[in-house]
Amino acid sequence: MTRLNVNQVLGLVLATFAVLYLVLAFQIPQFALPRPIDSDHFPKVLGTSLLVLSLMLFLEKPQARDIPDPVQSREEAALPAWQRPWARVIITFLAIAAYAALLVPLGFVLASMLLAVGLTVYYGYRRHGITLIATLGVVLGLYLIMTRVMDVYLPTGLLPL
Amino acid sequence: MESLNNLIYGFGIALSPMNILYVFTGVFAGTIIGMLPGLGPISALALMIPITFAMDPSSGLILMAGVYYGAIFGGSTSSILLNAPGVAGTVATSFDGYPMAKKGQAGKALAIAAYSSFVGGTLSVVGLMLVAPLLSKVAVSFGPAEYFSLMVLGLTAVVSLSDKSLIKGLIAAVVGIMVSIIGIDRQTGTERFTFGSAHLLDGVDFLVMALGIFALAEVFYMLLRGGGGKEQPRNAIGSLKLTRGEVKEIAGPMTRGSILGFFTGVLPGAGATIGSFLGYSMEKRLAKDGDTFGQGNIKGVAAPESANNAACTGSFVPLLTLGVPGSGTTAVLLGALLVMGVTPGPAMLQDRPDVFWGVIASMYIGNIFLLVLNLPLIPLIAKILDMPRALLLSMILIFCMIGVYGLNFSVIDLYLLLAFGLLGLAMRLFGFPAAPMILGMILGGVMEESMRRALQIAGGDWSVFVDKPISLWLLVIAALSVFLPLIKKAIKGLRLRHA
Repeated sequence: MTRLNVNQVLGLVLATFAVLYLVLAFQIPQFALPRPIDSDHFPKVLGTSLLVLSLMLFLEKPQARDIPDPVQSREEAALPAWQRPWARVIITFLAIAAYAALLVPLGFVLASMLLAVGLTVYYGYRRHGITLIATLGVVLGLYLIMTRVMDVYLPTGLLPL
Repeated sequence: MESLNNLIYGFGIALSPMNILYVFTGVFAGTIIGMLPGLGPISALALMIPITFAMDPSSGLILMAGVYYGAIFGGSTSSILLNAPGVAGTVATSFDGYPMAKKGQAGKALAIAAYSSFVGGTLSVVGLMLVAPLLSKVAVSFGPAEYFSLMVLGLTAVVSLSDKSLIKGLIAAVVGIMVSIIGIDRQTGTERFTFGSAHLLDGVDFLVMALGIFALAEVFYMLLRGGGGKEQPRNAIGSLKLTRGEVKEIAGPMTRGSILGFFTGVLPGAGATIGSFLGYSMEKRLAKDGDTFGQGNIKGVAAPESANNAACTGSFVPLLTLGVPGSGTTAVLLGALLVMGVTPGPAMLQDRPDVFWGVIASMYIGNIFLLVLNLPLIPLIAKILDMPRALLLSMILIFCMIGVYGLNFSVIDLYLLLAFGLLGLAMRLFGFPAAPMILGMILGGVMEESMRRALQIAGGDWSVFVDKPISLWLLVIAALSVFLPLIKKAIKGLRLRHA
């Protein structure tokens, strides 16, 4: 068996998703009064369209632009594992998840400072004084504009702001 | 005459001190965000939306229009200085803008970009003023069937004109619509795809998706592809002055580019990118020195720049009169308007003349600000490009977070943002266009509603969409926009096989 090309893999993944979507669409309950077009109608149309499109994608020949080129260059392979491109994405992802969890207990200013300063240092910027001043300026500025001028509530957390 | 009176009324609104401040803020912030490679008008608008939460709709839209203009202009700045267009709409500018910068004429190229943007913007605002009321008169007669077909056309046009795979574009649009119907069905009260989550009952906010698949995905992509964070060398700016001969030389290209750009912008799906390429290639053909295009010809900067700004304004026509955005960017604008409680459409001219004419007037003012305040500040603003990338990325993240959290004060939205960020990254890596998805997301709800209303009126008979002539034509054009490229490809394939 030949290996599947990138569009075929994507097509299969999307088709699976479309089938699951259709299964859910068929479980949408009927409205008590019969009407020509109920809530399940549109989702069924959408699910079917997606299924057809993913099968078409399966048949489409992949172009060069569709295939992600290998990310890692030799230069990057020499980096420590935690600084390689994919590690940067994953760590940023985790940092944002942590931010979401800590936003309310720590408060906007503290959590945002931690996120911005932490990531800037992690991405490799070494002038910590500038990092601190710039992030403090932006975060505090945003906080004051949002809470004092726009009346948008942001969690205060630990700081008595 | 009526238009003129209305415009004066609009200026009255736009010229209030607060609104002038908003236009300036918008143009300035838009320029900065648009200048950052990778971040275009969609990200700029999405990042600025939270600022408009507490504003009244006309001020909010005035700010947004400024951001849009500024972002396009900022994109040309990075095209000229770095050969790294921030947006697709300014790619054509880099063809001659960057060679000019290499010859030490960056300042001149930037000045031409600013003048051309100004001319393009101003001429097309006149066009908007004339065309929009006419179109909205036609659109008043549209019933739900026509609206549904119009939205189908809007989606297929955006998909077929993107440079990515047609099928992938359609898939993105369908998935966008799927996201839009999550939550309680407003007509029946039935829950759909909420998986028991109380948070999802209200549906997914478009801003969460827009910031996720554009801004956050772009940050992820830069982390993946940005390399070791080496900064590109930037060309010095030099003098901003133009000679009288040069002004004369670019006058023609600017005017033609503006007119062409405006009409391209009005068409669904076309917009700034196509407008600027058309403007560029038209001038290249018309010019006597067409062979020097690409080596730093000033006409090669003037034409695409006037065309892309004119197209931006042109794309406001379908947005304001039909309530159907013709591009990802105007879709985000539509989302912003809906958040503020304004529903654009044929009735808007009557119901909210303050918004309609206020925006048109603020476009004039935005153009003037772009020229008078932004241009002299360019050497200063360009310093942003020297800002360390690490710091920049963290700041963009903070902006995303505050925007998303400020929507519902819910941490769940932040997790959704992350999910959309990953989705956007995957889409970029595998060549799926993101604009159709956001368009589908914003149009999905209205699309379903008009489909249902049309079918309910017709007693469930699907032929209602082809029985009405306008609706039928819109659908035919939509089908052509999808199938023509496929048919062309098939014919080409056959010819190759026979050759």
